[in-house]
Amino acid sequence: MKTLLKYLGLYKAMFRASFIADLEYRVNFLTRIVTDIFWYIAQIVTFEVLFHHTQYIGAWNLEQMRVFLGVVFVVDALYMIILSENLDQFSEKVRKGDLDLLLAKPANSQFMISFQKACTPAIGNLVIATAWFVYSLMQMPNFEWLRLLWLIILIPCGLVALYAMRFTMASTAVIFARSENLQFIWYQIYRLGMRPDSIYVPWLKWFLLTALPVGVIASVPAKALLEPPAFELFAWVVILAGILIYLTNKFWKFALKSYSSASS
Amino acid sequence: MKKSFAVFWKRNLAFAKLAIVSNLEYRLNYFVDAVLQPTLTTGIEILLWFAVFRGAATTEIAGFSREYYLAYALWGAFFARICTSWMYEFRMIQEIDSGSINAILTRPMTYYEYYFSQLMGYKFITTIVSMVIPLLAIAIFNLPTKFERLPLAFALEFYYLILVHSISFVIAASAFYLNKIYSFTGAKNLALWLLTGELFPLDLMPEPIRSLVIALPFSSGVYVPVGYLTGRLEIATVWQSFLSVTAGIVIVNAFGAILWKKGLKAYTGTGA
Amino acid sequence: MAIVIETQDLTRVYKSYQKPEGFTNSLKGFFKRQYQHKVALDKTTLQIESGQIVGLVGANGAGKTTLLKMLSGLVTPSGGDARVLGYRPWERKNEFLRQISILLGQKNQLWWDISPADSYSLLARVYDLDPQAARKRVEHLAEMLQCTHVLHTQLRRLSLGERMKMEIIGALLHEPQVLFLDEPTIGLDIVAQETIREFLDQYVKEKAPTIILTSHYMDDIAKLADKLLLISKGHIVYQGTVPEFVAKSNSELAENEEVDFEEVIRRFLETESRVR
Repeated sequence: MKTLLKYLGLYKAMFRASFIADLEYRVNFLTRIVTDIFWYIAQIVTFEVLFHHTQYIGAWNLEQMRVFLGVVFVVDALYMIILSENLDQFSEKVRKGDLDLLLAKPANSQFMISFQKACTPAIGNLVIATAWFVYSLMQMPNFEWLRLLWLIILIPCGLVALYAMRFTMASTAVIFARSENLQFIWYQIYRLGMRPDSIYVPWLKWFLLTALPVGVIASVPAKALLEPPAFELFAWVVILAGILIYLTNKFWKFALKSYSSASS
Repeated sequence: MKKSFAVFWKRNLAFAKLAIVSNLEYRLNYFVDAVLQPTLTTGIEILLWFAVFRGAATTEIAGFSREYYLAYALWGAFFARICTSWMYEFRMIQEIDSGSINAILTRPMTYYEYYFSQLMGYKFITTIVSMVIPLLAIAIFNLPTKFERLPLAFALEFYYLILVHSISFVIAASAFYLNKIYSFTGAKNLALWLLTGELFPLDLMPEPIRSLVIALPFSSGVYVPVGYLTGRLEIATVWQSFLSVTAGIVIVNAFGAILWKKGLKAYTGTGA
Repeated sequence: MAIVIETQDLTRVYKSYQKPEGFTNSLKGFFKRQYQHKVALDKTTLQIESGQIVGLVGANGAGKTTLLKMLSGLVTPSGGDARVLGYRPWERKNEFLRQISILLGQKNQLWWDISPADSYSLLARVYDLDPQAARKRVEHLAEMLQCTHVLHTQLRRLSLGERMKMEIIGALLHEPQVLFLDEPTIGLDIVAQETIREFLDQYVKEKAPTIILTSHYMDDIAKLADKLLLISKGHIVYQGTVPEFVAKSNSELAENEEVDFEEVIRRFLETESRVR
């Protein structure tokens, strides 16, 4: 409990420092939002245009797809605020030898390297994402608002899955010293998760809920809102999140073992 | 005049070669960039089109069968790869940010041509290498493609690259005024993602947006060459695209020249 | 002798944003910014004759680099005028750029991923040199610097000293008439410093270019420079030869004290930092 409080306090301090640092680059707050507005528009327009020519894609109609996109946007915004900057700059940090400094500090190194810098300009994204999400829910005829409670469990689990995949890929930088390649591949894999998993063939769907869990990020929370609760699936997602955290920690320790400091 | 053109041509050819050599240097990187990534993108897009046709329960959308859409997705990913510029734009911004641009500014050539010839060299080699994917896939799945139209499609694509580079130049020049300009690149590429027609054929959009986005020069990045190649479009549209790209090049470069000139003046020459 | 470099009231002012401390102040700064103006170089007038080596000496932030950058065309002045070889440097005409060269000791100007030899053939293209003649010249310079063996190794695999030698060859490839050297020996060991110093000495005898040199090592200046430019807080405080400068300083000192150049400069920089 004491350690939990310590890390909460530490996170608060790091978040505050990040905010101060971000305030210096005023334009960034604007460009960040502008950039991602294009991304939102691209996602929305794609489905709006496709639904212009078809009734269903996968199992869902236009209204349901909008809700799905809402979930995607919200999860993505949360990921951007909390994790993106840390994980994007991971390999850079390793190459410059910044990792050495982190390892010398009396705090969990995985925690430090994952949460050190929050990307506060992305708070604007969260506002926009939430607005779209609420709008999409209001468009749904007789939506059961109580189902929103599922998100309290499922969105954190989705973030954990997202974190685990991204973190594992980034950690390879510690072993190979170069991992920009994997970053690019990651963006493609992430795109798989940005589409509802019902469009995929069964074996791929299964794969995306287990070994490469991008399906957990948005498809599962969206399902919880749009379809009657699938308890086994939700239970699996929670268990999966636990497994993933455990595995990332194992992998991190393994990576550190083979770590050769960049400065030496 | 004639001599100075020969000099200009030779040095630019030298930089195009530099780009080819230094990209092939990192073989694994290059393989991922030119082969693996477009393959993955194509795979994901094709999955979507399967689902769309299953949901629509028809054999044709906007007058074209599923095979046409698969061919579009395949060539679309390939052309999109060519017409999207991350790397050199990123480098240009980085150089201005860090001050290492100084090394180029004191040499008797322009910054614009220095990167333009490198971009062209890089795109040339990438085109040749990554073309294997669509060619193989088209042959295996027997998808519709008019191969005799390839030369003109490429001609338009490489002409469009001049516009791509000009836009990169404008963004890089903004780095004189603002720091952390990298996100502009992201914003621009995301906007183009939609406007080039990488996501879906632009003619699926409802009017009047449809006519507007096709008339914009950006459609020459993916939609027009791919549409022409797969039989959605005829040659008239291609000629129109050449015109709109020309207009784009003129406008963007005029803007870029002003930004550059003013920016250099304000430039503080950061870094040692 | 002809005047190669000439400046008239050359001035440069920088504007910078003052970063406030703490959270609330940062938030205030987000909406309203306080700027500070700093004069990096104040109304400088000077003349440099051709074929001279000029040593530019001053504390960090005194304005050395700003002056160097304005004369090589990298920075546009906020006031005054300057002519180098008859050109306004910051207009960066190709004819001008072809006759000058700048070497920044802390930056790479050659290409990172290819060998120096390949970089030189690219540079030969840029400066429109005859490839054959350029190759000969590289060989000659490499022999003088004793580094022929690394010409075909990728730049990123070379040591700092070797890299600097490669940079020097790159900077001299097109036989510039005016050469700006900013810390050419920074971070190098004594042997490498000595090699480079000897090389420059010999090179000047051969080609007689005009050189502006900054360095933190007073040995570089004392051994190479014909003329000394002392710069302090944006002002030129001394122009003359090294021996004259030492003599002048000695005459200002107490009778039986005798100091050498290095000591004089050390004292000069010390007073500088105390005044600050």
